[in-house]
Amino acid sequence: MFCLFSRTQFALLGCAIWLTVGERVPSQESDVDGASKPSNQTLAERGASIYRDSCANCHGGGGEGVASAYPDPLIGDLSLGELTKLIHDTMPEGEPGQCVGEDAEAVAAYVYEQYYSPAAQVRNRPPRIGLARLTGNQLRQSLADLYSHFGGVADASEKRGVSGTYFDGDRFKKENKKIERIDPVLQFDFGKESPGEGIQKESFYILWEGSLKVDRTGWYEIIVRSTCSFKMDFGKSERLFIDNHVQSGDKTEFRKSLMLTAGRLYPFKIDFIQRKRKTELPPASVSLSWVKPGGVEEIIPTRHLMPVTGPGAFALQSVLPADDRSYGFERGIAINRQWDDSTTSAAIEFSQIATTELFPRFLKKHKDEPNENRAQLKAFLKEVLETAFRGPIEKELEQWYIDRQLERTDDDAEAIKRVLLMSLKSPRFLYPLADSGRSDSQLAADRLALVLFDSLPSDEWLVRLVRQDELKSPDQIREAAKRMVRDYRTQAKTQQLMQEWLNLAQFSEISKDQTKFAGFDAALVSDLRASLDAFLEEVIWSPESDYRQFFRADWSFATPRMTEFYGEAWKTEDGQTSGLARTVADTRSRHGLLTHPFMMSGLSYHDSTSPIHRGVFLIRYMLGRTLRPPSDAFSPLSPDLHPDLTTRERVELQTSSENCQVCHVKINGLGFVLENFDAVGRLRETERNKPIDPKGSYRSRADENVSFQNVKELADYLADSPDAHRAFVSRAFQHFVKQPPDAYGPNALNDLVKRFGESGFNIRELIVEIAIIATTPPENATPPKES
Amino acid sequence: MHPLTSRRDFLIKTGVSAAAAHFLYSLPSLGWAASSGTPKKKRMVFLFSPNGVIPKHFWPDQLGKEFELKRILEPLADYKDRMLTLHGVCNRIKGDGDGHMRGIGCLLTGIELFPGDVQGGSDTPAGWSMGISIDQHIKNNLQSNPETQTRFGSLEFGVMVPDRADTWTRMSYAGPNQPIAPIDNPYQMFDKLYGQSKNRELLASVLDDLTADFKKIEPLISAADRRLLDDHVQMVRELEKELQTELVQQNKQKDVGHAVPALAANVNEENNNIPQISKMQIDLLVSSFASDFARVATFQITNSVGQPKMRWLDIDEGHHELSHEPDTNEAAYEKLIKINTWYCEQVAYLAKRLAETPEPDGQGSLLDNTTVVWTNELGKGNSHTRDNIPFVLVGGGCGFEMGRAMDFKGVPHNRLLMSFSESMGIPVKSFGNPNYCEAGPLSGLTASDA
Repeated sequence: MFCLFSRTQFALLGCAIWLTVGERVPSQESDVDGASKPSNQTLAERGASIYRDSCANCHGGGGEGVASAYPDPLIGDLSLGELTKLIHDTMPEGEPGQCVGEDAEAVAAYVYEQYYSPAAQVRNRPPRIGLARLTGNQLRQSLADLYSHFGGVADASEKRGVSGTYFDGDRFKKENKKIERIDPVLQFDFGKESPGEGIQKESFYILWEGSLKVDRTGWYEIIVRSTCSFKMDFGKSERLFIDNHVQSGDKTEFRKSLMLTAGRLYPFKIDFIQRKRKTELPPASVSLSWVKPGGVEEIIPTRHLMPVTGPGAFALQSVLPADDRSYGFERGIAINRQWDDSTTSAAIEFSQIATTELFPRFLKKHKDEPNENRAQLKAFLKEVLETAFRGPIEKELEQWYIDRQLERTDDDAEAIKRVLLMSLKSPRFLYPLADSGRSDSQLAADRLALVLFDSLPSDEWLVRLVRQDELKSPDQIREAAKRMVRDYRTQAKTQQLMQEWLNLAQFSEISKDQTKFAGFDAALVSDLRASLDAFLEEVIWSPESDYRQFFRADWSFATPRMTEFYGEAWKTEDGQTSGLARTVADTRSRHGLLTHPFMMSGLSYHDSTSPIHRGVFLIRYMLGRTLRPPSDAFSPLSPDLHPDLTTRERVELQTSSENCQVCHVKINGLGFVLENFDAVGRLRETERNKPIDPKGSYRSRADENVSFQNVKELADYLADSPDAHRAFVSRAFQHFVKQPPDAYGPNALNDLVKRFGESGFNIRELIVEIAIIATTPPENATPPKES
Repeated sequence: MHPLTSRRDFLIKTGVSAAAAHFLYSLPSLGWAASSGTPKKKRMVFLFSPNGVIPKHFWPDQLGKEFELKRILEPLADYKDRMLTLHGVCNRIKGDGDGHMRGIGCLLTGIELFPGDVQGGSDTPAGWSMGISIDQHIKNNLQSNPETQTRFGSLEFGVMVPDRADTWTRMSYAGPNQPIAPIDNPYQMFDKLYGQSKNRELLASVLDDLTADFKKIEPLISAADRRLLDDHVQMVRELEKELQTELVQQNKQKDVGHAVPALAANVNEENNNIPQISKMQIDLLVSSFASDFARVATFQITNSVGQPKMRWLDIDEGHHELSHEPDTNEAAYEKLIKINTWYCEQVAYLAKRLAETPEPDGQGSLLDNTTVVWTNELGKGNSHTRDNIPFVLVGGGCGFEMGRAMDFKGVPHNRLLMSFSESMGIPVKSFGNPNYCEAGPLSGLTASDA
């Protein structure tokens, strides 16, 4: 029963995806109508032919108007009925009565649909770079960088783990330092023994320092388990996070949740102390775990730990409303009170950290400079403002935003709050593209930071280039973009691109029938997710950065749990017994992300595969093609009702009608090719004692018919197909720039795809190219130069 | 059997609080409740100062109504007929932890400390208290009743409490192993109390300048994009109007005691600012009561083993260090009297502010309905005794018969904690370790008892 229910839900969800996530489908309404009422089709054709013959002369072939006859475009807000009557009564001009009744109806329907209606107007508007406010994510990142402007951003580093310094005795005493090493994870059970040579077991102190590398924005729960006294700073040194200075009774578990921002390093420090006491000593143990967004509790893996402590980071805790995604990428276009309130709480939250951390740091740095008339406070606020507003501010603004606010209060904290409340709610901060009039270098820096970091330019080196006006020439911009692509902030944004390209949000919770797939539990799913993330990251950030590896790689990453569940092919290269490690090569079962068990199980039902979900995923996301929604919601046929049929046979049976076949010929042809992978992504040769038939086909944009004998041929096709390249490039452009590619010129997308090929499908170079296009204003946006 | 005792027993047996019983059964008004109209508010403040007192200059010699105020208590002269001194109440809690730790950790909890790793100067190491403190117990009960519920229930104030969480720095507990950190930064407390409305006020005042800047930025936006910005400006204007209405409302309320107090600017948390911080915190406490944000508060000046250097009294040594000096050290002895007198001045200032602030509902002053309990972790500093813990009560919240000096001649302080609970309308069979509670609440505190 549960199974059937989830199936129905899944099917309905499938339809909902078609309806909402789609690229702009030209006139959904008429398509759906067209499918069910063929007579409308004839009506539209009739209307088109009447328009061509009798209307185009005066109204233009595309409804744009004709200067000498009727110059205005055919747009308006009459209803279809009113428009029909108008045509019936008045058209053609001078000869009313020529186009009446069904003719008027037909031509009205055609005009309305093609040019006239509000929907048609939007559709026909040429793409342009639209003004948008900061999205939630951009606001988060911008504030994080506004904070980092004063202390810097941690550099990328290959080192992983936590630095541990072990002392004899219960405090920091240089001469008692016994061990200095990198611990890969924090999970120790010393029992009643000494933690290392030269250290007495009844009294020791261990200092662990490192940074938490966060790749995804969301709520994280940090869990420390400790039988001894400990204190933990997080986010910045001296920012106390968990205080268990007193070991008391059997209180040994400490949990705390907070919102963390992707692409940032959060320094942390743990002081772990076994104190000598007169009573019996408890055994000493400590561990550091987390629950990632959507994950399960686990010891924080080595790949997220770095043995360095950077300058500190700010993670906004205020809840921000979700952004518009109607175009398939986030855009800041919703202006409402909920959003406005969230900007207020964000500004207030930031003013607190500015008061407690940034201003004291500023004072310390400038302690030898004069401070008459609150000169230091003014200088600090000016620096904040110029960073938030992306460039120098004129005298008048300084008076509005700073001087006038300072006059109203003697209290420094309140002054900071006033200024930040005003400036972080100002259009100068909230609308990053409302910066015309800035220097070319400033404009370039603004766009680079927005496109690559979702943020504002605040790094010292970038600000310096702007100040020296050295970010003008294409070479200078390219150089800067290349440097920024290596940054964790771009890496985080690229990881987000992967979520969108692979539509991973759709399979947030994967669970399987335990009678068929015993052992496939939440912990395994969490490992699969981590494995896919690690694989994608490795492909993108390896020296080759070759997109084709997404489909051709015969290696992946695995944990011991995965090896145990999936067997030989998922053994790790070095036989590592904990954490994620690279797997051995396996050309038979592994074709990059295409056959990754996270994808395969996500694109399956609770108890069986779903060639339809797999096919829709391939055609929509990997090949970037449009699918119309089905005319009705269907529940898939239950396997139990057709015990003799394979999944392929059952799907063929259900989608065999002519109506279904219009789309399913495309969907099934791709989805069936993955039938060698069961509902948890294990390789299989047979189903219900019949051999698997993985043959399939695809008709490309260029109308070329491609057939596949097996999954390898499909993987090769996806690696080399122009359709797939275009889909990836287009998705990447929209994700990074948050504008339609066509707004940057009619050939912008084609050129990018071409250059992508020329670079050997180098993903990092693609990101640089995208940033450069976004930085260089499209030709049609600049006034023609006089010759 | 005493009538009050039987009523108390009845309430304990039926398992309802006095206030709830009053509400549910329409019982004739109880001895400690208001006699007419809306029930009177009852409030309690537990004010802590550290390191024991100088008993000779603290405790009145004469018991009863004709008691005299010794030097340390002199600042309370104006409230002599509204105060009670309770000699002979002892913190008998044994177990882990040194004298100071048990002094503060068991003071309001009446129960032992968990074994732990905080090693004091002597005795065994210990952790946090094993039980809830009386202030939190009263708070929980008040909060569970819609009639006595307030926004915060309780507020925990501190004055220069060291920035470290250990047994010596915590006196209030939400439960076993759940110490509550007092807020010792007046600005942080202000933010907790008034942050929201203050932020709205600030927002209202910057919006005007902000709208002006929207105008300035308009020409930079292309006509096609203007719509988004217009929507934004429109929304800002609406918000402005809404905030104006709100502020007018707020100003009206100021007349009935809901004023947002003004704090001195830029007072850092440092030793020499203790007098100023203490005053700011007391002002905030009084205004939070006037606004009925809470009915219970703790007010912790420094901590057990606290080391304030009272340079404003020309004393350069830390308080704890001085408190170890033998009585024969005359200079130290004199300084300790001065230090304790200064603490008493804080109690007096609190009493004064409460007395001069009228109850918002017009029934007398805040002090009429608030009992301030001034206490300490030790009876005497240099002996570390927890016998004769200083308990000085000021004000009328508990309904005790005031204007007296009393001596209980060595009773466990758990019984006093039970009396506090009962007087706040929550009769209990025990509080903290039940072994010290068998004799029940202290008798003789209320007029009917006496």
